[in-house]
Formats: sequence, C-alpha cells, structure tokens
Amino acid sequence: MNQIPILTLLLFLPLVGALLLLALERREGMARVVALCIGLLETVLACSAWFCQCNLPVANAPKGFFLFEDLPWIEALGIRYTIGMDGISLLLVILTALVTVIAMLTSWRSITERVSLHYLLLLAMESGIMGVFLSLDLFLFYLFWELMLIPMFFLIFIWGHGRNIYSAVKFFLYTLIGSLLMLLAIIGIYLIHGSQSGIYSFGLSAILGTQFTSATGLWLYAAFLLAFAVKFPIVPLHTWLPDAHTDAPTAGSVILAGLLLKTGAYGLIRFGYPLFPEAARTLTPLLIVLAVTGIIYASWIAFAQKDMKRLVAYSSVGHMGFVALGIAVWTPVALSGAVLQMVNHGLTTTALFALVGMLDERTHSRQIEDYGGLWGKVPLLSAFFVLFAMASAGLPGLNNFVGEFLILAGSFKVAHIATILAFIGVILPLVYTVRLIQEVIFQEERRPLTLSDLTLREISILAALAIGDLYIGLHPAPLLEILKTPVALLTGGSP
Amino acid sequence: MKLYLELIILFPLSGAIVNLLLGGRLLPRRASEILACAAIWGSFVATVAAATAYSAPMTVEITSWLAAFDLKAPISLYLDPLSLSLCLMITFVCGLIHTYAVGYMKDDPSPVRFFALLNLFVAAMLTLVLAGNLPLLYLGWEGVGFCSYALIGFWYRDPQNATAGRKAFIVTRIGDIGLGIAIVWLFQLCGTVSIQQLNQMGANIPPGVITALGLLMLLGAMGKSAQVPLMVWLPDAMAGPTPVSAQIHAATMVTAGVYLLMRMFPLIGSSASLCAAIAVTGALTAFYGATCALAQRDLKRILAYSTISQIGYMMLGVGSGAISAATFHLLVHAFFKALLFLGAGCVITALHHEQDIFRMGGLRRSLPWTFWPFLGGALCLAGLPLTGGFFSKDGILAAVWLKGGALYGGLYFAGLLTAFITAVYTMRMVLIVFEGEEIPLNPPLSKGEVKSLPRVMEWTLLPLALLGIFGGLLNLPEFLGGGVLNSFLSHPGSQELQLSHSSELLLQGVAAVVALAGMATAWLRYGGLRRQLRLTEAELPARGLSAFLLEGWRVDALYDLLFVRTYIRLSGFLWQQLDEGCIDDSLDRIAAQLGRWGQRLGGWGEGRVSLSLLSMAAGAALIIVWLTWVTI
Repeated sequence: MNQIPILTLLLFLPLVGALLLLALERREGMARVVALCIGLLETVLACSAWFCQCNLPVANAPKGFFLFEDLPWIEALGIRYTIGMDGISLLLVILTALVTVIAMLTSWRSITERVSLHYLLLLAMESGIMGVFLSLDLFLFYLFWELMLIPMFFLIFIWGHGRNIYSAVKFFLYTLIGSLLMLLAIIGIYLIHGSQSGIYSFGLSAILGTQFTSATGLWLYAAFLLAFAVKFPIVPLHTWLPDAHTDAPTAGSVILAGLLLKTGAYGLIRFGYPLFPEAARTLTPLLIVLAVTGIIYASWIAFAQKDMKRLVAYSSVGHMGFVALGIAVWTPVALSGAVLQMVNHGLTTTALFALVGMLDERTHSRQIEDYGGLWGKVPLLSAFFVLFAMASAGLPGLNNFVGEFLILAGSFKVAHIATILAFIGVILPLVYTVRLIQEVIFQEERRPLTLSDLTLREISILAALAIGDLYIGLHPAPLLEILKTPVALLTGGSP
Repeated sequence: MKLYLELIILFPLSGAIVNLLLGGRLLPRRASEILACAAIWGSFVATVAAATAYSAPMTVEITSWLAAFDLKAPISLYLDPLSLSLCLMITFVCGLIHTYAVGYMKDDPSPVRFFALLNLFVAAMLTLVLAGNLPLLYLGWEGVGFCSYALIGFWYRDPQNATAGRKAFIVTRIGDIGLGIAIVWLFQLCGTVSIQQLNQMGANIPPGVITALGLLMLLGAMGKSAQVPLMVWLPDAMAGPTPVSAQIHAATMVTAGVYLLMRMFPLIGSSASLCAAIAVTGALTAFYGATCALAQRDLKRILAYSTISQIGYMMLGVGSGAISAATFHLLVHAFFKALLFLGAGCVITALHHEQDIFRMGGLRRSLPWTFWPFLGGALCLAGLPLTGGFFSKDGILAAVWLKGGALYGGLYFAGLLTAFITAVYTMRMVLIVFEGEEIPLNPPLSKGEVKSLPRVMEWTLLPLALLGIFGGLLNLPEFLGGGVLNSFLSHPGSQELQLSHSSELLLQGVAAVVALAGMATAWLRYGGLRRQLRLTEAELPARGLSAFLLEGWRVDALYDLLFVRTYIRLSGFLWQQLDEGCIDDSLDRIAAQLGRWGQRLGGWGEGRVSLSLLSMAAGAALIIVWLTWVTI
C-alpha cells in the first residue's frame, strides 16, 4: 500500500469540492474559482499518479495494477471498496481531469444562471467518471456508473437549449435501460459465482474465472454489451447522442463526448471481455459489423448536417466506431490503438465542441450557413479550427491518425474485409471536414457577423488541447509503453 | 551524416514553425521571406554535404514514433542513391521557387501563411522521400497532401479556389486507401513496415499477393501522381498561386506516386502483370494528358495537362522496369516543368493575371528575359534532340521497346504518338503566347502596357533553363560514354537491360524525327500569319472534339454525376429518412406507446402503498427465482 491513498483522493476530492460549492450558492465568482482550483488540483493529482508506475508489483493487487486500495465495505454482501489503477485507467483518469477543467473553463462566461449548481454538477460528475475508471468491484462500478448519469441529466435539462427536455429525458432513458440490464447481469454473476465457489463477492479479481454455461454467459454478456453499447454509442443505439450533444450546454457536450462515451468502451475492456471471453468471442463478428457500419454510416450522415454541433456529434459516433473495432478484434496492437484512440477522441472532439461553443457565444448561431470567411476576421480561432478538424480527419502527425492506424493494423489479420471497409471510413471524415472548413473558414462571409478573436482563457484551453494532439501525433511511444503491460495481460500475451 | 540528414528536414520544418508562431506581428515581412528562403537553401546545403559524405546506403534512426508490440515505426531516415538524387532536386528546385515567390507574392497581404505552408510542404516532401518505413512515408505523403490543399485554396475568398483544394485533397485521399491497405497488409504478412526489410522479403510472399499489393500501391500512386482515372484534381489545382503550381503540382509532389513505386520496386517488380498494369496506366495517362493539352486555352491548364502526361511517361518507365530512366525523366522534368510554370507566372503577372493564351501575343519582344528561358523549357518538353528532355524521354521509350512483346510494342508506339502530340501542343503554346502582335488587355489597364516584373522572378528562370537543356549530360546514352546517374542509381539485381549502340542510335533517330515532325506540324498550323487565323477561330465557343478535349474528356462531369451527387443525396437520405425518420422515430413511438400504457397502469399504484410494495417484492422475487433457476 502507498502511504498516500492517491486513488481515494482522486475519487473524493471532486465530491468534497461539490459539497463546498453548496455553501457558496450565492457567491458565483467565488464558486467558479473554487471549482477551478479543485479541478486543477485533481489534474495535478492525476498526473502525479504517472510517477507511481514504478511501484510494481503491489502486494495483493491484480497483475499490472500499480496503485491499489482494498477495504471491506458491506461485508455481509461481499461488497468491497476495491479500486486500482493500471496503464489504461491512468490515461483515462488524466484525460478526465483535463477535460473537466476544460469544461469548467468553457462555461466560464456562458453560464450565468445558477453558477454554483453548474460547477457542483461538473465536480460530482468528475467523481462518478473517476469511479468508473478506477473501480474493481462490480457493485462499486455500478454505483459510479449511475452517479455520473444524474448530473449530466440535469446539465442538459437546466442549461440546455432547443429541445433540451426531450433530449435530457431521451438520454436518461436510453442509459437507464442499459444500466438496469447491467445491474441484473451483475446480480446474476454474483449469484452464479457464489453458488459455484461458496464465496459471494462482487470483486472483479474474485469473479474473473467464473465458468458460465454458454447460453447464460451469452445472456449476461449481452446485457453488459447493451449497457456499454448505448454509452459508446454503437449504431443503431446512437440516436440519443446527436440530440443530447446538440442541446447540451458546451460543458455538457464536452464531457459527454470527451468522457462519457469512453466509459462504455472502458467497461467493455475492463469487464465485458475479461468476464465473458467465450461469449465475447461469439459476438465478435456482430460487434465488428456494427462498428464498421457505424464508422461509415455516421460519417456519411455527418456530411449532411447543417448544425455544426450535430456534425461534430455524428463525427463522434463514427470515430467511436474505430474504438469499437479495435476492441472487437482484441489483438494487442488494435487494443492499444483503441485505448489511445479513446484519449485522442477525447482531446480532439473536446476541442471541436469548445470551438463551436466559442462561435456560438459570439454569434448565437451554430448553423453552418451563417458563417463564412472567418479566416480574415478571426485568424487565431480559424487556425485552431483547421488544426482540430484535420486531427479529426486523421491527418498523420496529429493524434487521431496514430490511434486509427494502430487499430487498422491490428485488425487486418482478424478481419480483412472489415478493415478494408474501415479504410473507406478513414476518408469520409475528410469529406465532411473539408466541407465544414470551406463553408465556415474560407469563402466570403455570408452574413455580417461581428466577431472578436480568442481571449486568453480560450487560447489556453485550445493550446493545451493542441499540444496534446501534436504530442500524441508525433511521439506516442511513451503512452503506448504505458499501455503495453495491461494490454498484454488482457489479450493473454506476454507483456 | 546523421546530423546532415536531420538538418535536411529540420531546416524547412523549423522555418515553417518559426514563421507560424512569430510571423505577422513579431517578424517584419522581409524577415519572414528571408527566413523561408534561407530554410530551403540551408536544407540544400545539408543535402550537398550529405551527398559529398555519402558512401553507401544507410539508415539513421532519430527517435521512436509508433511502437506497439510488434508494430515498430520509428522516425528513421534512409539514404540511398534514389532518395539522395531526389533530395538534391527537391531542395534545389524548391529553393529557386521560394526565391521566385518572394517576387511573385510581393503585394499579397498574407505572406506568412504562404511561406510557412510552402516550407512545411518541403519538410513533408523530404520526409516522404527519406522515410525508412511505410507509416513515416505515409506521414509525408499526407503532409504534402494537406499543404497542397491549403495552398490551392490559398486565396480562400474565392469559392472556386477552395473547391479546387477540397477536390485535390479528397481525390488523392481516395488513392491513399490503397496505400493504407497495402501497409497494414504488408505488416500482417511480414511483421515489419521497414521499407528496406520489406524489399528483401519479396521471395516469401506468394506472387498473386504481390500483384495485389502492387495494385493497391498503384492506386495510391494514381491519386498522388494524377494518373487515369484519378487525374481530375490536377487541372483544377492550378487555382493556387503560380509558385505553388510550380513547386507542388509540377516538380515535386505529383511525382510522389512514381517515387513510391520506384521505392518499392524490388518488392513489387517481380510481378509481370503488375508491371504491365503500371505501364498501361502510364501510357494511357500520357496520351490522355497530351490530347487534353492540345485544346486548352488557359496557359496553366496546358501545363497541368502536360504534367499529367509527362508523369504518365515516368509510370511507363517504371512499368518497363527502367527505374533509372524514370528517375532521370523525373529529375529533368522537374527542372523544365518548374521553369515553364515560373515562366508562365511571369507572363501572367506581366499581363495582370490574364491566363487565356488567346489574349496574349508579342511577348517575345516585351518579355525577352522570360521568353528565352521559357523557350528552352518548351524545347525540352517537346523533346528537341540533344536537350535534357529528349534524352530522358528517349531513355524510357528505349526501355519500353526493349521489353518487346505485343503489349510493350503497342505501348512504345503509343509513347511515340504521345511524343508527337507533345511537340505539337508545346509549340502551339509558345507560338500563340509569344509570337504575333501585342493584344490590348481586357479590360485595358494602361494602354495594354506590360507590367514590369521583379528582377528576382526572371533570374530564377536561368539556372532551371540551363539544367533542363543540359540535363542530358547527367545521363548520356551508352554510345556517348554512359550516364553518371545510371551508374549511380544502378544496384545489384536491377533488371535493366542494355541496348546495342546501333539500335539505340536508331531509336533516338526515330524519336528525333517524331519530335521535329510535331514541331513542324505546330508551325504549319500556328506559325506566321496562320496564327491570326487561329485567334479569330478561338473567338467562337469550342465544339465537337475540341470541346471534348477542352473539358478533359468530360471525366469531371461523369464523376460528378456518378459519385459526387450520389454521395450528397444519399447522405441526406440516410440522415433524414433512415436515421431520424426510421431508427429514431420508431424509438420515439415505442416510448410514446409505453407512456400511454404507463398512464393506464398508473391506476394500479394510486394511493395504495401496500399494493405497490407488494408488486415490487413480487417482481424482485421473480427475478431472483429466475436467476437461481438459470444458475442451477
């Protein structure tokens, strides 16, 4: 055990911050600053976990986990407070901390009503997401899974625009149905494992070797898969996403796209495949087909969009299709690519949503047809726009290419045709991206818009993300090195 | 040596970065320009240093890049005669073009973006050429694609330019699918992506697979090098500023596809059917480009189609296994085509952005410093005996002839026919633009007066003209003492055969006669007083064959109908009918229906707590019973 319980701090610091904000209900400026400080502190904490990697091996911890905390909680039911961090969680935890800070900064000016509540919800959500990425106990995992759902519902409900109530309820119902099925499956595993071994436990490492009859395994896995596929989202369960993204406030879209979508993929990697290897193998062809369909289908639809936010939302569905493909084929190279792609998508899409939010703040329009000729007016914003759009289109040298290439290189030997089709899916993002750039950034302006270029706060948001994009694009080796051990353990190879 | 290689790429890269970060506000305009040019010339000096220190092919690993399990693609540079000769050409030609661009862009309001992108382009191109593994090559490959896109649409306010840039990016990317699949396939087959290792592994791969891999790479090359059927982007790419056309769309980037095939030739060259496919593509493209160039009116479009056609020759050379002949033509073509474009830039600037050749005339007298170098370049293109272009084109045709057989025999004659057409359209261009009387500009600016050009623009033409005309010395035919380039490029195991001196002389005689006949034909139609006649004819809209050629065999219209419109329509259909109309709507309906049932069921729980508690308990019990049932 460590001297400092870093993981517990990571989990509860945002919650404590949220409680603190309760006291600051009337003092909005103060609430912002306090929330930001907590967010930054959390980021520092998350980054400090990077340096704990040399801890290996930790006593009692499962292989590959360099931070691990395990305490009894509800002993009568075999529920324990088990949290641990390996390379995969580390990257996602750092991403979570970073994206939350960015979400806070994007809503710095745009949120003017019930400011403390807004930041309180952001912090609560951060706790929930951290919990999802760190839990190694199924019950705990489920708890955090639900915890992150509720703040998001309110974010869309209260600060959203357009058909926000419809979208919020839709989002809530979709995820709720998925997660209820998952709860049933969790209870099922618990009972089956208990009856087989006599030890009733929710702990992942305890359950891991449980044998299921193939039909039971398939049903339980299907329930998990459904819950994760909704979050992912995997076509055809994606229709909540364009609505939720479009109607959410900028911070909501940023966290939805940057973080919440990753929880589905993470759940599949951490729980779905390891718990039900046989069932997962049975359903792999289905997942591959859906993933590739999603890549092409969503990217194609993105081309027709008129609302920039909706365009980015559909592009998210397409990009997450690559992650799904990488997980589905379950080879070391593809899985490393999939995890890295989760981080990449988090950075790039966050930046794109932030940019659309900034334009929306200035002109109160997200319609592509209202813009044009931005290059001449706001060169800095335009330059960032082109950079992130190109990253999203998978230009080599920027981050998304690295993830996509690894996924495709790792998938080819398992699924030839799917990989070839996915390659077609690589150029479709370029098609809608260059159209977006042309209509928004190039050409003459179509409506007289008064725009001011980026403020220092906005520059710092975008610059941080741009550095991340370029770093992963040009020198991803250190991150891939971190992923090596956990990915090798998961795929059954030698690290 | 490692330092030299790093510097070759780092100079232009840092030039681009410094200009991007500091340009505009912190750097005065002149400093940006000097920085951009210095970066390229610095890179040229580093290349020359590398060339003098060069002794044997070598790989230099700089740092890690992609590294996941067995997939290892570091940033490693590979220097061999092929990459070295290309680097020398690229840095030199691009250095001259940068210098020229200082004059050309002197009134443009945003030089920083221009020079930063131009530098970035050179860095990406050099990465492509020097890359030691395929993913790194792909990085350069896409990097040049991006710079080309951004520079074609440099004057972004005109939707036409932006559309042309977009078209270039997307069409070339379609070809890149082929290259991408080839890379991951090779990785799966050989477990490596290093170009050197792959080139030695040809024996382990079944021949059918090699053909398929080669076809995929050919698809990539078709996109990048504007070969039939992916050639449609290059003529439109002329929307960019002229230095961009010269640098990217004539001298360097468009040859990347040819370079890829040459680079991977040890691997893919063993497949005869693939070589035939490459050769046929090349010959077909050469013919296509030449015929289209015959009918164009826009000076830059003539040159664009001529580029397509000349790259077709290079492909034909690669398909015949004549790598050094293809390289030779690539280098000489880069010199004279850059020269022609820069010369065209001078003409266009002098005439206040007039590009229609039928509105030009008499420039021989008013722009002598442009005319003479331009004529030199044109003679190279037309293949006048003893110019560089004559020797390089003849080298390819001789290699095709040598291959023998019905197919290559046919291709040889197609090549000769194309050479004839090339001579015709080249001299047509020269005669129409530079002969005859000056035509008042429309609208007249200052009595049709020709604008004076910045000195630097015309000076850069001279070295290129000299290189083009005397480029033949690089690679003299065997009977004149043999070529420097040939022996430099040849490596053990190369398949190139040698002709006997007499038959080589004979082939050159034939080529010379064809070129002269073409030039004579052009003179008969456009020379002297007949020029005026053609000008009068050009007033009328083109009809029949000439309209067909003017529109590039109407391929654009066909693609628009088949692909572009279908894609756009289907995207709208998928969104509104399928996604929102079908998937989403059916879910909404289910939800609404559930809501109605819920209201009816609502009666169940109204006010009766005991009942709802009971129901809940019953439900939970059911679930548990089911689960235990399943378990047992």
